[in-house]
Parts: sequence; C-alpha cells; structure tokens
Amino acid sequence: MNLFGMMEVSASALGAERVRAEVVTSNLANAESTRTPEGGPYKRREVVFAAQRPSFALSLASAGAGGRDAGSTGVRVRDVVTDTTSPLVKYEPSHPDANADGFVAYPNINPVNELADLMGASRAYEMNISAITAAKQMIQQSIEILK
Amino acid sequence: MSLVETPLMKSLARYLDVTAYRQGVVSANIANLDTPGYRARDINFQQELNKALEAPDAPVAPRPQEVPGLLERPDGNSVSMDREGLLLAQTQLQFTTGVALLRSELKRISMAIQEDKGQ
Repeated sequence: MNLFGMMEVSASALGAERVRAEVVTSNLANAESTRTPEGGPYKRREVVFAAQRPSFALSLASAGAGGRDAGSTGVRVRDVVTDTTSPLVKYEPSHPDANADGFVAYPNINPVNELADLMGASRAYEMNISAITAAKQMIQQSIEILK
Repeated sequence: MSLVETPLMKSLARYLDVTAYRQGVVSANIANLDTPGYRARDINFQQELNKALEAPDAPVAPRPQEVPGLLERPDGNSVSMDREGLLLAQTQLQFTTGVALLRSELKRISMAIQEDKGQ
C-alpha cells in the first residue's frame, strides 16, 4: 500500500464515523418525537460498520507494483438498523397523540447512551485525523528528499 | 551498482517501503476501531525488513497477521487505541529517520560531484 492508500483508508473511516455521529444526533433530536411519516413514535437508529475491501483503483495500483494489498481495509457503514424495543409509554391524557386510555408512546431513547456513543464517534474521528496527519507528513517528507 | 546509487541508499529505500507499509496496516486498524469482529493486524517489522533487504529487486509484500494476546471486546473487535496510537507515532518517527538518512546520503554524493567546481 502506498502513502496515498493510507489516507484513503483513514478517509473512509472519517466518513463512517460522521454518519454514526449524524445518526446519534438525529436520535437525540427526536427523543420526544411522537409522530413520524410512517406513523407512531420515532424509532432509535443505529449504524453497523463493516470492514471494506480496498477500492478497485487501489488494488490495481498495488497489483501493478507487484504487491498484494492485504493491509488496506477501510470501513464503511453497512447498514442503519432501527431499534425494535417497544416505546416508552407515559400517561398524558391531554396530549394530542394519546391513545384512548390517555397513554402516549415516546421513543425509547436514553440520552446518556447516545452521548456516550457520540463521544466514541468523535474520539475515533480524532484518531483517524491523526493517522491522516501522519500520512501527510510522511508524503511531505518524501517530497523534501527532492529539495 | 550505478554511479549515484549507493547500496546504503537502496537499503534505506527498502526500509522506508516496509515502514510505510506498516503505517498503512496501523491506519487500517485505526479505521476499523469500531467494526464488530475486526481483528487488529500487524507485520513483524524485523523479519519483513530482513526479507526486503535480502531480495532487493522483489516488491515489498509483507504479510500482515493477526496480533495475538490483545484484549477482545464483546463485539469481537480487538483493536487497542493505545497500541495503535503508539505504533502510529513510532512508525512515523522511523520514517522520518529513514528520510533524514537518505537525504544526508544524497548530500554526500552531491558534495562529491561539486567538489571539483571550486577549483
């Protein structure tokens, strides 16, 4: 793998972590949403990451150089799954979305869980930024050999 | 051996190749910090460097292997942030050292070429 391949791998992780952070913030924003286009309260969403095979361009470059490219595995968001746990039910008879018995279904979202997840995403993002910075500096140094 | 390419330069180039490869493996580990089931991988640096030096014309193709003895999380992922962060910094310094040595070697040759100009 060349140094640019390194950056591509880290960039894939930046994208994936950003999607994760987006999903978490959307969960937090909708913690009290009792109405959705598909009906019922908002359902908590979660991302599923999967290791990614190297891109075609990267594999071709490494095949041209005669090497195997077993080292480069980026990451991608394989799926965004919906949490199927039952909604929280609160007794609020005056609420417009209350059922006949006066109960309202709220999304089952725990802000503490979401914030911890958000922190994890943000730390992982920072870590990958460090990896990109390292790759950038290495490329810069290689260029400076010419000077 | 050509006039301007010394054996040391060739060895340094191989050293830089193996170092850059390792850095790639480390960034792949960091990228998969939260991928369920992903196992941290690494290369045996000493062994791969020896292999690269023994066969100077073959492409550098190290074999990354699963790192044994790492703590595994419940989701089957064994990437340790501390280990990878440390390796990232260490490998980068190794690369910097290699580049500095290569530059000084080039400077020496350039000095030898220009020696004649002063007179």
